[in-house]
Amino acid sequence: MPSIDDPPIEAGAVIETTGLTKVYPGHVTALAGLTVSVAPGVTGLVGANGAGKSTLIKILLGLIPPTEGQAKVLGRDCQTSGEAIRTLLGYMPEHDCLPPDVTATEFVTHLGRISGLPPTVAKERAAESLRHVGLHEERYRLIGTYSTGMKQRVKLAQALVGAPRLMLLDEPTNGLDPAGRTAMLELIGRIGAEFGISIVVASHLLGEIERICDHLVAIDGGRLLRAASITSFTQASQVLAVEVEEGLAQLQAELAARGLAATLQAASQAGTATSQARTLLVPLGGDDTYDVVRDCVAALALPLCRLEQRRHQVEELFRDEQEVPHA
Amino acid sequence: MPEVQAAGVIHDLGYRGYDGPRLGRMQIVRALTWHSFRSAFGIGRGVKGKIIPMLTLIAMCLPALVNAFAVARGNSRLFGYDVYTPGFRVALVTIFIAAQAPELVSRDLRSRVLPLYFCRPLRRGDYPLAKYLALTGALLVLIEVPLVLLYVGTIASASGGSAVWHETRALIPGLGVGLMWAVLFAAIGLVLASFTGRRAYSTGIVAISCVLTFFLAVLLIQAEGGQSATSTGARVAGLFSPFTILDGVRVWLGGSAQAGLTADPGRFGPLYGVLAVLLLAACLGGLAARYRKVSQA
Repeated sequence: MPSIDDPPIEAGAVIETTGLTKVYPGHVTALAGLTVSVAPGVTGLVGANGAGKSTLIKILLGLIPPTEGQAKVLGRDCQTSGEAIRTLLGYMPEHDCLPPDVTATEFVTHLGRISGLPPTVAKERAAESLRHVGLHEERYRLIGTYSTGMKQRVKLAQALVGAPRLMLLDEPTNGLDPAGRTAMLELIGRIGAEFGISIVVASHLLGEIERICDHLVAIDGGRLLRAASITSFTQASQVLAVEVEEGLAQLQAELAARGLAATLQAASQAGTATSQARTLLVPLGGDDTYDVVRDCVAALALPLCRLEQRRHQVEELFRDEQEVPHA
Repeated sequence: MPEVQAAGVIHDLGYRGYDGPRLGRMQIVRALTWHSFRSAFGIGRGVKGKIIPMLTLIAMCLPALVNAFAVARGNSRLFGYDVYTPGFRVALVTIFIAAQAPELVSRDLRSRVLPLYFCRPLRRGDYPLAKYLALTGALLVLIEVPLVLLYVGTIASASGGSAVWHETRALIPGLGVGLMWAVLFAAIGLVLASFTGRRAYSTGIVAISCVLTFFLAVLLIQAEGGQSATSTGARVAGLFSPFTILDGVRVWLGGSAQAGLTADPGRFGPLYGVLAVLLLAACLGGLAARYRKVSQA
């Protein structure tokens, strides 16, 4: 088999695509010239259903050839070294993919063997992977008796068993309740942060995965919408919320006079209708913004009841992005 | 959710990567083949999964055991190595592939586990290859073990080296016929079973295809005057089912025409041979095509 250390894995990007296009029979365009580079770490791949996420994953796994363009995973070409790439990848599909009539231990051990692990290593790693995802004694039970949350964990464990360098997770929180989602996301975040494995999480729920991602790649209609680090997504959006019991208009005018363009809070961001009517959002430039706000409030002698730094949810930025035509 | 709490206590044990040797593709195929071979006999499955394959194997061995007793009492060998117990063997092989080919392929289709195979270092042809080798191996056990028992039971009561040599020479073509059966029926069983993930349907498709074609061929042979007939109709009647095709090949290659399933194919012998090869090629091609489609889904 090809050695997994050859060629050396680039530190730069775990995934690189250039002009990646996939047209299915019947002129269905799933990917339209996607050029993107994914750095190591946890990356969110976001897009609506049908945006091309699954097609991209299949091309990265070397299961389908692109119509045009090139894709590289860990520095290897997907079309020519699919086998070597798949040795280094762990994949968690979106749909159910577990047989009900075997135990989790047997199943994950078997898939460890198929990942190329020797028999004893497969057994050890299966037990460890299941332990890491939080399945202990339950792992000796038939998978058919598991809850949805436990099944998702088995799916994650089978992606982990082959000691991958990169994991592709397709909608890992599918079908989970809020507590299960949080637990699954924490687990993924931990695998990314502590296990030294790069992760690409595909999801259509931006607000959910932004909690664990270092980078975000947004695609829509098979094109790249935006790719950046989470901090750069949110940096531009730091705002200061100023809530006063009265004199909102005066405050806005005073702030404008001192060079700060304060806006009224949109209804969707406000917790209640009353707080919406009393809150101004001020773009946060630096520490002096706090001083200006303090001085304004003091000068007008307004009853200030809240001054807090807010981060825009990435979802909103994304919505703004979608309104402009694709570049 | 109890498992959420369980997740809270596991973090400090640390993750270890693996940089040791990995198996090559062929070794992975071998591992999958062995796993599938075991499940063809229900090993690694519950008791329910073992019933049909084990009963079939035991039933297949019974004539050989009867023979051992008969020979010990002074009779000559009861069954030929090349035909064994023809109708009985047709029935048991049909039952075995109808029950176990779906066990090997429909199960994975049903639970949609295939993407987990194809995202690993296997190539798309490796999965059907492993399944085919596994079922061929299982059928070899089912067909050849009774022949070996027949042989052992016979030579246990044989007197003298020449008698043993005679038996050995008779056994070898019998094993060859068994190999033909295993190679062809594994392909037929898998390609039919892989149509659907609904196990009951795949079992039905395999069983009905085998039984109907067999009875069609037998009826045609009877209508043409039975196995001893030499009319053109009788000679080609065996082409209508895989069992009689293989029996025709056996007779063409020098086996006895009287004890088997079909009439002497005579000058149509090569046709039987060609058809057997075409049928095998069609089944294997169909199987490969089926999984080429599945692997992209």
